[in-house]
Amino acid sequence: MSEQPVLSVQGLSGGYSINRPVLHDITFQVEPGEMVGLIGLNGAGKSTTMKHILGLMNPQKGNIQVQGKNRAQHSEAYHSALAFVPESPLLYEEMTVREHLEFTARSYGVSREDYETRSAQLSKMFRMEEKMDSLSTHLSKGMRQKVMIMCAFVARPSLYIIDEPFLGLDPLGIRSLLDFMLELKASGASVLLSSHILSTIENYCDRFIVLHRGSIIAQGTLKDIQEQAGKPGMSLEELFNVLIQDGNGE
Amino acid sequence: MNLRELYVKRRGQFWGEILPYLGYVIQSGVAVVFLFLLIAFAAWYTALLQQVPPDLPIRWIMLIILVPLMINSSIRTYLRTADTVFLIPQESRMKEYFRMAWFSGVVYKIIGLALVQLILWPLYIRSDVSPKWLLATFAVLVVFKLLSSYGSWKEQLMVSKNAAAAYRALRWIVTALSLAAWLWHPAGRALIFMTLLGLTYIAALSVPVKHRVAWERLIAVEQRQASRVMMVLSWFVNVPQREQRVHARKWLSGWGKGLAWNKASAYRFLLIKSLTRSDILGILIRVGLLGAFLVWATRDTLASAMVYLISVMIIGLQLSALRKLHPESFWLHVYPLPQGTRRDNEGKLIFQVQLFWAVLLWLPLIPEALSAPGRILGTMAAGVVLVFLFRSTAARKSRREEDDE
Repeated sequence: MSEQPVLSVQGLSGGYSINRPVLHDITFQVEPGEMVGLIGLNGAGKSTTMKHILGLMNPQKGNIQVQGKNRAQHSEAYHSALAFVPESPLLYEEMTVREHLEFTARSYGVSREDYETRSAQLSKMFRMEEKMDSLSTHLSKGMRQKVMIMCAFVARPSLYIIDEPFLGLDPLGIRSLLDFMLELKASGASVLLSSHILSTIENYCDRFIVLHRGSIIAQGTLKDIQEQAGKPGMSLEELFNVLIQDGNGE
Repeated sequence: MNLRELYVKRRGQFWGEILPYLGYVIQSGVAVVFLFLLIAFAAWYTALLQQVPPDLPIRWIMLIILVPLMINSSIRTYLRTADTVFLIPQESRMKEYFRMAWFSGVVYKIIGLALVQLILWPLYIRSDVSPKWLLATFAVLVVFKLLSSYGSWKEQLMVSKNAAAAYRALRWIVTALSLAAWLWHPAGRALIFMTLLGLTYIAALSVPVKHRVAWERLIAVEQRQASRVMMVLSWFVNVPQREQRVHARKWLSGWGKGLAWNKASAYRFLLIKSLTRSDILGILIRVGLLGAFLVWATRDTLASAMVYLISVMIIGLQLSALRKLHPESFWLHVYPLPQGTRRDNEGKLIFQVQLFWAVLLWLPLIPEALSAPGRILGTMAAGVVLVFLFRSTAARKSRREEDDE
């Protein structure tokens, strides 16, 4: 592909303590219109990788660029190009669902007309129309998660970082989310998605990055990973088990 | 598990977290201002005692000051969210834990009540035509304080929130009627009335359905109380903020809709929503209304200027808590807000709201504008200068903090 990658992570090492990095020399890219699955066991480094991309942690080594820009020099442009859905909903208790969407739209510079169109579309898609004027404290966990997803989607940046989005969502919510991600992908947006529901993301992601103990142990399309593991025809879940066992030296 | 020890340990942990900040509070200029106000109040009160105005409605004054103190029955339980899992097996024994909480809450409040009674007493015995005895009045206050605390605790256990609200209103009525009976009527007749009323109230408390332990409500109340302590500390020093109570206030939900639709005002939008639904706004309204009333009551004296400036100052202090609401907000790190807009929006909003209250508090002085134009306009000018002083001090502090970072 000749296009500039939406996300480029080069030689990233980092963690909470300089002496004990959690991530070791992580390198990958996400291209425009691509959906990439970031998979690994608990504590493999998925969320830490995402925190580095979001600028919540500073790399000890390496470089991260979003749309060709790094955070230190182009903070506003960098953050404008990405939206994040966290694993656990982080909402302002003093705001309603509608106000969360409005705050996000204002922060990303979305026009009022686009905000209104998108907000109506998203509230319908996630069956939140009746809850739009409810304070976030009055929402169930699944609904709170839907608000997080709606906020990310109202911004329409070029890159979505989505951490365990299916937790707490009902089956219809999961279906709506997956359908909408495909729609965004078709429109040229990119998604970096972390999930443990491998059987689901196997059918949706173009490529996968397998993290284990802070290092990438395999990456590529399902076919590429099957070849790397020497297990053609295996499902992603089976492949993952094989790779992890190999990574553990078992 | 020793629940008494657990309570003592948790209380120690909380106050161990607070005590280090008290040094900063004492050192801060605001503490000196409060000390000055205390001295000014003492001087004014001594002068008042020397020349008590005839026909002073002392019984009403006693009633208005003492009833809220008798009603206030907050109890610190130090409960935590995880207790709904780890302490539930101990539910049948939680009385030991709550007994400690209840006693330590009540004892301090009775000491406070006694102190206020002692301060009011010289004025009372000089003004009332047939004052009651000091110790008998103290006994009445203590008995109804205990009854109010008992009632408040039962309200927290009630399953129905509506029933709890109704019983809270009943508690106010019972307390106010009892004290009024004591102040206005002969002791014997008043005691009979108070006993009957108290017993009826206790019987009424047994009617509503109650939880054995209302875990979620008690935890929410505890979080609110802890955050209030932090909010008061935040007037003097930077402290980590805790979750504030959220009030729906639908009548104010339109505030912020007219803001310019751009990135620069996005943070202002968040701040407006935070202010609209926070405890801060409730305090502003109470301070503002009380201040306006006192300014109006003292409008023909120089004391009105003092009351006015103190009210504007308290409002400024309250508003400064707004700066502490979102210092570590996750989304403010992730969203592409233009650099510097947080500080600018905070400063501007706080300045505008304080100025609004400065004008509002000045309005009760208008009737005096013709008779004492210099004093009335001078008061207004001093208020505006005070608001500007608050803004420049906050801006300097904010710049210094940014430089430190």
